[in-house]
Amino acid sequence: EMAAGLDRPQVVSHAQQALNYTLFDCKWVPRSARLLCLGSAARGSGLLQLYELRGGRLALLREIEKAKPLKCGTFGAASLQQRYFATGDFGGNLNIWNLEAPEIPVYSVKGHKEIINSIDGVGGLGIGEGAPEIVTGSRDGTVKVWDPRQKDMPVANMEPLQGESKRDCWTVAFGNAYNQEERVVCAGYDNGDIKLFDLKTMSLRWETNIKNGVCSVEFDRKDVDMNKLVATSLEGKFHVFDMRTQHPTKGFASVSEKAQKSTIWQVRHLPHNRDIFMTSGGTGSLHLWKYEYPAKRSKKDSEGAEMGVAGSLSLLQNVTLSTQPISSLDWSPDKKGLCVCGAFDQTVRVLIVTKLNKV
Amino acid sequence: MPVWLREHCWRQTASAVYLSLPVRGLRVTSANIFCTDQYLKVSIPPFLFEAILYAPIDDTNSTAKIGNGIIFFTLYKKEAAMWDSLTLGNADKEKMQYLRENAVLKAHEKAKEEMEAKKVTKREHKKYALEATMKLEEAERKRIEDLKEKERQKVTKELELWKKQQEDAEKQKRVQKEAELREEVEQLKEKKKGKMNKTQIPSEGTSKTRLKPTKGCHASYGMFSENLKEEQLPAPRSAATIKINFTSRVFPTALRESRVAEEEEWLRKQAEARRTLSADLSELEDLKEEEKNPDWLKEKGNKIFATGNYLAAVNAYNLAVRLNNKLPLPYLNRAACHLKLRNLHKAIEDSSKALELLTPPVPDNENARVKAYVRRGTAFCQLELYTEGLQDYEAALKIDPENKTIEKDAEKIRHLIQGTMQDS
Repeated sequence: EMAAGLDRPQVVSHAQQALNYTLFDCKWVPRSARLLCLGSAARGSGLLQLYELRGGRLALLREIEKAKPLKCGTFGAASLQQRYFATGDFGGNLNIWNLEAPEIPVYSVKGHKEIINSIDGVGGLGIGEGAPEIVTGSRDGTVKVWDPRQKDMPVANMEPLQGESKRDCWTVAFGNAYNQEERVVCAGYDNGDIKLFDLKTMSLRWETNIKNGVCSVEFDRKDVDMNKLVATSLEGKFHVFDMRTQHPTKGFASVSEKAQKSTIWQVRHLPHNRDIFMTSGGTGSLHLWKYEYPAKRSKKDSEGAEMGVAGSLSLLQNVTLSTQPISSLDWSPDKKGLCVCGAFDQTVRVLIVTKLNKV
Repeated sequence: MPVWLREHCWRQTASAVYLSLPVRGLRVTSANIFCTDQYLKVSIPPFLFEAILYAPIDDTNSTAKIGNGIIFFTLYKKEAAMWDSLTLGNADKEKMQYLRENAVLKAHEKAKEEMEAKKVTKREHKKYALEATMKLEEAERKRIEDLKEKERQKVTKELELWKKQQEDAEKQKRVQKEAELREEVEQLKEKKKGKMNKTQIPSEGTSKTRLKPTKGCHASYGMFSENLKEEQLPAPRSAATIKINFTSRVFPTALRESRVAEEEEWLRKQAEARRTLSADLSELEDLKEEEKNPDWLKEKGNKIFATGNYLAAVNAYNLAVRLNNKLPLPYLNRAACHLKLRNLHKAIEDSSKALELLTPPVPDNENARVKAYVRRGTAFCQLELYTEGLQDYEAALKIDPENKTIEKDAEKIRHLIQGTMQDS
């Protein structure tokens, strides 16, 4: 029994660092053993810190302070040479920084009227095709897509109808970017709405409501024909949608799991295996999941229309690291199993998940 | 009176006394035999045998064998000596009594001691068992810890190795870059020369072809490849907007904000209120059908109010209230009438009643509650009870913070209060 337990992937704590500010997001710098932490300092300004992993400890390389607290960031639209970092802050500003010269942003726009809750980038890092683009979702209820070559105006804007009461957008993600034209944006809102926008046709492709506020959405791979989408919500529930088959009325098939008693703040797929993902919870715990595909991924319904079949989930491992919610999570794209997570106890932790080859 | 058993016989050796006691036909168990170091008693009611022994015996090791109608005692003497007789003869009654009691006491003490000893051993056994379990668990835990530790170390080593590889790879790239940079500079120089001489530079073709496959190469070469890539990138999307709407709910709050319980209660109350007819219908037989409907009456009242005939409006609301005193709106509107009629106390009463009926407070009955507070506030102010009035205005503001009129009026009242305070 014990032996079987130890054959499963283990989450090993490698390094941690106590910070003196509220940490909102942490991201690995691609092609390196460095990571970025961003958040809000006690004096109400934004902080960006660059750390390097050195033998079991995190060494602070650089600290950058900005006017407004920073909420989220991504390297998704950056080229591998330049590795510019895009951030969204509490004032609704989208900025792209050159970390070598961070005094003046490379691109800056006051994109939203309220805090930018979530940001994602696509088209960079040598992954996928098409123009690099950044999407931001804000408390003002809008989701905007930006192209760093176009100043001030977003290239796509998903906003509520005139007179419609707005709902906070809590999370955004790019997907389906498998060639130069195709791209979708998925957005999750605080009333449980999930909307899928097709950027090629500039239309709403699908929407659904999962009853509880959607904290995090992510496609298993941004740069392939959309395969799976995971959406996590309050009250410990998350849903995995099979995105290969869209039924005209029923939409996408899904399987859901209620794992933790509290909010599931983040979901992140392992870059090296798209069927493994980690969810982080409000109780300070991390759960590692594996999705298993069903025997047939689609079947015909009574009228002959194709509908998807959802698979099943198995819990590979779980571990509790903190008493506070783990609000941010990022896998290293370079070393399999290396990940960083940030929690509201003002600690950033570097973890290694072992035995992922054997799963 | 016990029947004494006297037919006993005995013999002795230096170390033991053998006593044989016939107990014909009697059932004997060990409970019937009582023996201390100098007193022996066999009591099988109503028969009794008692002996105060000549000398002390070792009562722990002595035995009594019961069988064949005889009890056969083997009593081991404490001191090896020959006894003159089995019992201490001629002991007087008191002495006998004393000896008996003593014996009993001694027996008690012995029993107690034995119990204590048992307890102590039991405790020690338990402790031992506990410690043993703890040790086992500890060992198990340690084993797991060790395994985890090993994993950790292994993984740390791998990470360090990987890091080193990264650094080496970067160094190599840098070196390569510098070399190629130098080459390029030379190339350009030669090119210039070459232009003048109109000769092809042999290295150009090969170096260029070396470039393309290595992706992620650095700056200057980046310039070449980057330009090409720019051409390959699609132009920025033409801006467009997608309009969306959000899932509507019966109540406009998301699940996490929903005060579903309260909202359900409010709905239920309304439904009930509608159902109950609190008036005695016999009195109202001469009323038309529609006039028996409190809602219709309320609407009628509103219309009359609009024409300015406040007394008539009050009548309509009165009838509505009579028919169903659980509906808040007739009270609310009647309060408005009373305000106009300057029946301030009645206005306060009715607004209060309306507020009572408008519980629980939900977004659905927000409007009604604001009106109730404002009307009651006005009545208070007109009675010059400014503080109460201000309280109600502030309650109204809390529900509807955007309302400018309420804000202005609240300000006015505040000034009035401050004014009167200054005077007094």
